[in-house]
Amino acid sequence: MAVISARGLGKTFRTKVKAEGFAASVRGLVRPVWRSIEAVRGIDLEVEEGEVLAFLGPNEAGKSTTIKMLTGILRPSLGSATVLGLDPSRDRVALARSIAAVFGQRSQLWFHLPPSDSFRLLGAVYEIDGRELVRRQGELVERFGIGDYMDVPVRKLSLGERVRCEFAASLLHAPRIIFLDEPTIGMDVVAKREIRGLLEEVNKRDRVTIFLTSHDIGDIEKVCKRAIIIHHGSIIVDESMKSLKHRAMSRKIVGVKYAAPARPDIPGLEPIKRTQDAVRYEVDTGRHRIEEVLRFLVAAGEVLDITVEDEPLENIIAGIFEGEDRGASLAAAGRAAAGTRTEAAPPPARDEGREA
Amino acid sequence: MGKGGARPWWRTALSCMRFLATSFVVNVQSALEYRTNFLIQVFGMALNNAAFAAFWAVLLSRTGSVGGYVFTDVMFIWAIVPAAFGLAHALAGNIRSIGQIVQRGELDVYLLQPRDVWLNLITSRTVVSAWGDFLYGFLVIALLPGLSPGRFALFCAMTLTGAAILVAAFSAAESLVFFMGDSSSASGAFTEFLLSFSLYPETVFDRGMRWVFYTIVPSGFVAFVPLAAYKALEWRALALLVPASLAYTAASYALFRLGLRRYESGNQVGTRS
Repeated sequence: MAVISARGLGKTFRTKVKAEGFAASVRGLVRPVWRSIEAVRGIDLEVEEGEVLAFLGPNEAGKSTTIKMLTGILRPSLGSATVLGLDPSRDRVALARSIAAVFGQRSQLWFHLPPSDSFRLLGAVYEIDGRELVRRQGELVERFGIGDYMDVPVRKLSLGERVRCEFAASLLHAPRIIFLDEPTIGMDVVAKREIRGLLEEVNKRDRVTIFLTSHDIGDIEKVCKRAIIIHHGSIIVDESMKSLKHRAMSRKIVGVKYAAPARPDIPGLEPIKRTQDAVRYEVDTGRHRIEEVLRFLVAAGEVLDITVEDEPLENIIAGIFEGEDRGASLAAAGRAAAGTRTEAAPPPARDEGREA
Repeated sequence: MGKGGARPWWRTALSCMRFLATSFVVNVQSALEYRTNFLIQVFGMALNNAAFAAFWAVLLSRTGSVGGYVFTDVMFIWAIVPAAFGLAHALAGNIRSIGQIVQRGELDVYLLQPRDVWLNLITSRTVVSAWGDFLYGFLVIALLPGLSPGRFALFCAMTLTGAAILVAAFSAAESLVFFMGDSSSASGAFTEFLLSFSLYPETVFDRGMRWVFYTIVPSGFVAFVPLAAYKALEWRALALLVPASLAYTAASYALFRLGLRRYESGNQVGTRS
């Protein structure tokens, strides 16, 4: 059963543009020039109950704008969305009772007060009565291991401790969907691992649907089962993490460490890194047989160590982004060469105030 | 899944009252986190207001009256305006921060909660110095000659209507941010106008501009009508002040809701304080 559904969902921002210089500022005062920026261009998506979805994209791709439309913060310019059967912009209050959002850069906890006070207020916000609030708070404190911080002002907590409290606070009203926007931003590796573990647990135990946006590939690899990649406001990839990782199978990173200086030479393949006694190659297995590459490497000298790794997911995703950009540039160049009068596609969302 | 059945209005009202009461308590707790700062701001503001009272005392001891206002009239204005201003900012401390919050995209937190955005936003902070204004107002009225239980009750009622009108007026000025992008100058100027007009005798202003006090800059409903009602102990003034405060609040709320449709959010890093 789909808990999130969007059909042709789009958002266009109208922003004032001004050329450089004082004269342009004066002209802008008299006759301002406006430009429409399509941050999200009519996307379709469906998310099933209990899914853990990674919603990825480079900066200014339209990720945050999409989340904000799905949570009722922004009104769509076109198309429609339903979340838990409700229209987010029309039924915002009803929807807010069943969803939660954790923004890594924003807090819903009172900065000067201990989390326990924020929990009390959130109880009133979500209409959780006294006894029930105590029960739920106790359960979350135990699950998230935040008992020691509940009486410490939020300003004195570390980032990891604060996000754990933040995450617990967001679950106080037992939401059915959690939207997370960069939840581990700025955290150290230990704190990140803890948060990922908690996300997995919440999803498995409470069957909460998770809609995660992150630039941290570790978050995505560890937690998500499906990935949607958005670029220039359009969805360019929607597939399972398994299938996305499968793309990595066609590219291997092969590294060799020799006992003495060696200089292997593989026809048609350039090393990505070389020192006197070590070398690394990126091998496209469609073009080069891995067995052949290994034979060349072993023949070049006495081998101390040899590694064959899949290409990191980060590179795959970066490759998809770059491929899209290259594709767009080539298409534009092709149109120009053909002498068509088609204008280049309008620039993607570039308003820094809107997209992380 | 679905919207669920409608519930009785009184349950919604009760839930709203509980939320506002908890929010107020949490705001006060937050303000009390820094005790010294709290005390300095409260008593500092009371002292600041007292300096103006001293100025008026010196002036009126030489002139006798200004525009027909004697010392007790001026002091009444210096009681009701700070009391209403203080109450407005103690209960709804974000009224003059709406523009900044909207510009920074910090309205997201409020939009994600199942509460009325305007009410949630304005009541999620208390201004500490406003407590000084509020206390000062009541201190002055307590010291004014001729205070009776009836007059005190009327003063309290008119403080409430005055506070409601100030909340509505400041909020409306700040809501211009949705339409102008940056309303800080307009809102700042409006605050200056409203306070300056309210704290001087109505009669010093030209007759031609007094209509302003009962429309755009509602000083008339905050200071001048209450002064006349207090002097005559005229409870019927509330028949004008209560509808006026409701009308201003409704208009201000409608302007905010209209503007909210244009909200564009943002991604500035920050925490609620």
